Amino acid sequence: MASRDVVAYKTPLSRIWNIFTVVFIAFYLLWTLLPLMIMFFSSFKDLLAAFQLPPVGAFSKIGLFFDFTPTTKHYYNLFVNLGFSTYFANSIISAGGSAIISVVLGSMCAYALSRYEFRGKPDLFFWIISTRMAPVVAVLVPLYAIFRGADLIGTKAGLILAFTTFNLPFAIWILKGFFDNVPYAIEEASMVDGSTRFQAFRAILPLVAPGIGAFVILCILFAWNDFLFSSIIGSGGAKTLPPATVQLVQPQNIQWGSIMAAGVVTTLPMMFLGLLIRRYLVTGLTMGAVRE
Amino acid sequence: MVSTGSGNAVSTAHDGERYVEGARVIEHMPASLNAVPPSRYYLWLMAPALIVLAAISIYPFFWLIWMSLQNVGAGPEVEFVGLKNFIKLWSDDKFWMGWILLFKYSFFCMFFEITIGVFLAVVLNGHRFENILITIFLMPMMMAPAIAGLVWYYLFNSTFGWYHWLFQSLGILGETSIIGSTETAMAGIVMVDIWQWTPLITLITLAGMKRVPRDQLEANMVDGASAIRNFIAITLPNIYPFLLIAIMLRFMDNFRFIDVIMRLTGGGPAEVTKVLPVYLFDVSFVYFKLGRGSAIALTLLIVTIIFGKLLVKVFESPASKRIDQGN
Repeated sequence: MASRDVVAYKTPLSRIWNIFTVVFIAFYLLWTLLPLMIMFFSSFKDLLAAFQLPPVGAFSKIGLFFDFTPTTKHYYNLFVNLGFSTYFANSIISAGGSAIISVVLGSMCAYALSRYEFRGKPDLFFWIISTRMAPVVAVLVPLYAIFRGADLIGTKAGLILAFTTFNLPFAIWILKGFFDNVPYAIEEASMVDGSTRFQAFRAILPLVAPGIGAFVILCILFAWNDFLFSSIIGSGGAKTLPPATVQLVQPQNIQWGSIMAAGVVTTLPMMFLGLLIRRYLVTGLTMGAVRE
Repeated sequence: MVSTGSGNAVSTAHDGERYVEGARVIEHMPASLNAVPPSRYYLWLMAPALIVLAAISIYPFFWLIWMSLQNVGAGPEVEFVGLKNFIKLWSDDKFWMGWILLFKYSFFCMFFEITIGVFLAVVLNGHRFENILITIFLMPMMMAPAIAGLVWYYLFNSTFGWYHWLFQSLGILGETSIIGSTETAMAGIVMVDIWQWTPLITLITLAGMKRVPRDQLEANMVDGASAIRNFIAITLPNIYPFLLIAIMLRFMDNFRFIDVIMRLTGGGPAEVTKVLPVYLFDVSFVYFKLGRGSAIALTLLIVTIIFGKLLVKVFESPASKRIDQGN
């Protein structure tokens, strides 16, 4: 706690507390990492090795987990036989496309919402954010029927549009908070110097650029990790990584090695991106309500 | 919008041209500054986003209402049935069970995530390795829920799953997998949610704890308060608005996403995990009863919108205004 250095003397109680915290953190670390670790190792295991378990209760034989010869055949299988390079590209194009569209349109709209007062603004604002809160399945039902009518099922354009249903309101909502923090005086000064309104808007963009960049990445993350939209709207021509991975689960023959490899391929880039925008993560995941 | 400090003698003919005592003033500013009336300018900036949003949210919403009044089968025939879909829902046990299970699932997730998450935040706050630890703890959140579901499905497998082996070795479970028995299936799906989303609670709580006035804690300490007393009397009231936001966000996410449940149990066994959104998915995309599905979707949407209204209220309440200050 913040006041730890004020009261510096050690009591037996504080020693017990310290030991307890170390144990708790160690346990939580294990709890967090074990599933990720098992996924990672299993993706390099031969199927036979992956299915090996010690007898029930034999904790001493837990080292069996590391007893395997690493193989990259699952990754090879994934990209050469199962066409995952296409799915990977689909993921990048549709997630990236929707993120860029959302943030470009979103920042324009957010800027206007931040600067312009008009009647009914709170209602408009609530409508925008409620589209983001809507349960995915509930939105999926009408969107599927409409997209089917417009021949958008199985196309990347359709998928980009579908991802935009949750990314655009998110971008507007969160970027408005960013523009609210930029004083209007900066634009005023810029306009006094002779720039147009639009140039003044461009003048303050560098100030919000880091935030905008972070939310492009966050939008990519949301779209990349989506399953329902891409499995229904993207089925056929525009399958992305999560539904493609799920499809490896077949009733007769579950290709666990390939599934774990696909899991690693899907998860690693997002973990990297998550680290990159670590500073904006709380703001983004709480829709701007909490700033770190 | 932009006031250029016009005095009494200044009259504005129209934007861009000004007359002082009858003489036209050559403005230093170019006319383009006010060439576009601000309101129209802002509308133009908003228009593209609003049009796209309207196309993908208002139109589908009315479509949903219209569709919920129809009977849609697998074929192209559509028959108007009025409120029949809703009346049928009234006597549909699975519909009501879906709501009960959804709240049960959300409650258990919230209870454990808040308890563990806040405790973790207390332990981590000011810890030597706070930054690196929280970064590691965040990793599950970056994983696609569908993939997380698959990985845990693998861990829970009764013949080769390591977690199942662990549960069996500890004597918690027998031969049946945790997601294979009606008694434990709910615990299984809650566990995955805890694994993935507890760090979010921790992160939000930590952000709140950084705002706790340090002098208050110290003064209280000097007055002889214990650490626990300090936490209850000072820290907790300060992080309360943060916790409220965390709870509401997680609650809504439990309504929004069903990826993990679909992968792990698909609503089974014996429908003990068939929360409403899963039931809705089945009705709409397994049985293709889009009319009935639309009626269920509408009820889900309305409840979510009410929740959303509450959430926005919390966002804008004086209590959470504190969140924006500082730093």
